Amino acid sequence: MIQQDIKIVNRLGLHARPAALLAQTAAKFSCEIELAKDGVKVNAKSIMGVMMLAAEFGSSLQLTTNGSDEKEAFETIQKLFTDKFNEEF
Amino acid sequence: MLVLKGVAASPGVSIGPAVLVPGESFAVARQYVEPGEVKAELQKIRNAMQKTLAELDECEQKVLSTLGAEYANLMATHKLILQDPALKDSVSKKIRTEHLSAQAAIFLTLQELAANFDKIEDPFFKERRNDIFDVGKRLVNNLEGGKREFLASINKPSLLVAHNLYPSDTINLQENQVIGFCTDVGGKTSHTALLAQSLNIPAVVGLSTASKDVQSGDTLIIDGENGLLVINPDKYTLANYRKIQRELKKTEALLKTINHLPVITEDGHAIKLLVNYDPHTDNKENKRLITDGLGLLRTEFLYMNTPTPPTEEEQYQMYLSVAKRFDMRPVTIRLADLGADKLPDFPLDEFDQDENPFMGCRGIRLFLKNPELMHTQLRAILRMACEVPAQVKIMIPMVSSVEEVRHVRAAYDQALKEIEAEGKKPVNRVALGAMIEVPAAAIALDGMIHLLDFISIGTNDLIQYLVAVDRVNQEVAHMYDPCHPAVGRTINQIIQTAHKRNKKVSICGEIASDSKMLPLLLGWGIDALSVTPRMYLRVKNNIRNLNFETCSDLAQAALLMGSSEEIRNLIEQNNKNEDS
Repeated sequence: MIQQDIKIVNRLGLHARPAALLAQTAAKFSCEIELAKDGVKVNAKSIMGVMMLAAEFGSSLQLTTNGSDEKEAFETIQKLFTDKFNEEF
Repeated sequence: MLVLKGVAASPGVSIGPAVLVPGESFAVARQYVEPGEVKAELQKIRNAMQKTLAELDECEQKVLSTLGAEYANLMATHKLILQDPALKDSVSKKIRTEHLSAQAAIFLTLQELAANFDKIEDPFFKERRNDIFDVGKRLVNNLEGGKREFLASINKPSLLVAHNLYPSDTINLQENQVIGFCTDVGGKTSHTALLAQSLNIPAVVGLSTASKDVQSGDTLIIDGENGLLVINPDKYTLANYRKIQRELKKTEALLKTINHLPVITEDGHAIKLLVNYDPHTDNKENKRLITDGLGLLRTEFLYMNTPTPPTEEEQYQMYLSVAKRFDMRPVTIRLADLGADKLPDFPLDEFDQDENPFMGCRGIRLFLKNPELMHTQLRAILRMACEVPAQVKIMIPMVSSVEEVRHVRAAYDQALKEIEAEGKKPVNRVALGAMIEVPAAAIALDGMIHLLDFISIGTNDLIQYLVAVDRVNQEVAHMYDPCHPAVGRTINQIIQTAHKRNKKVSICGEIASDSKMLPLLLGWGIDALSVTPRMYLRVKNNIRNLNFETCSDLAQAALLMGSSEEIRNLIEQNNKNEDS
């Protein structure tokens, strides 16, 4: 199991498009992927779950991956966050 | 007859019978099935999901070709919601363990999910419950045979009245004989309004009580020009609107034929007609417009909702993509007009929240206190100008004195020197101009014009400052008056002062697309107007129908008048003469 905090650095936070990208990416892995914020824990493969976190920029999330491809999943998702979901100019 | 005032969301006038959309909350009874039917219910869900997915696919393609990528993304999100494990798992669990019917299982799941979103404070995320219900409605509809029974039951051209419409409803309106719609909620920039605009259906939103005041079958007039809904109009009103409608139809057809024609009055006076550009709402329709260039690129959005200011590289890439979008045509970029109602979230130097923000530290005032922000933006723009053959112009917002212009000039020279030292050079010299929106700058323009390459009049703020009226304040909003004699005299003075120095003047406020003010602006000698893509062809058409000589006479006469009423009468009289 890998668990670490990641910060949201893209301007609009986890709004519709980043949430979609995140859920789509997570769905490619077989391991369990969870995001937690303020005590709310959701399945990162669920776009509704991700949006429900209402994660605005600057906020912190706890990312947990657990399963056979947990390392690759963790790194891929972490990169999405640091790359600001490819949305900035 | 009853007239309701709302927000004009999409232009045009439609007249026809009302169809009232039943309340948005679709309720499904808590029905159960026999244990033996569970398998069949699960299969029903799978079929409905497949059908809904195909529908959304089709919808996405349609949206992509009509409205552009931004809205297509919305449909892609809906597809993901449909395939969301949270939805699937909960629905099948409810059927399997509680023996609920497929419909009931979906409905209860949606309610549970929506409840989570209702707890959220952030309005953006809260709004997403609408998307969830939108998908849910499609799904239930397909479960019940996919008749889309409500819209499909409309068998003659009708006007839709709803408390609220979902984006996906709006997309399907055209195919279903809906020739206009109005809603109780929503603003000019709500998704539904924007979709209506691109579908060319007249729409009025924000009517508060329309869905209560209208009954199905009532005769309605939806006036998307003025944001009015007329319920059961009298004979006179109906005849009047039919006439307006005929004229609009004629204009609409005509507009498409003038896209490639020059912006020139009937007696041969040419001006530049530019377009205000927002990269987030660009679409196929806009790209088809043949314009004289980009007249106003607002850049505040780069600074909003971000913990750090935008980097030079980020800005450079954005400006480059915009310049490429406009090909060889001129591009005008406004330095970020931050402050007032647009405050970034990262900390700024010497900045305290103002008591009276519109008169406080905004526009160039804020940039001069944060010189590194200005430096970065200037460098990004100048670097872009090294890569494109287009004429690039930089506009300074909220200038009030010559000292400010001098400081920006120095910063511009410094940035240019650096870039030249790096071995690059703008293809064309980058022009530096000022937005004139502070009355002091308008009056003392002669003292700073020698430092400026061009002038742009920001009429929205100029009028607000001239008449000291906050347009948002309901108590005084009616006093915000473009026809006030002070407005015309100030605009005229700005133009004359600039022309003495051979500098060009443009206007980029709402007044530029106001057909009543257009003859006066032309008559005072305006060189360019910048308008929204939506208004572009209309304004062009209006210009092509004007006579410059008449405009000049009219404009001179208006300068001598002492009241709005006189000026308004003058314009109306002139319109009547043109008509006869």
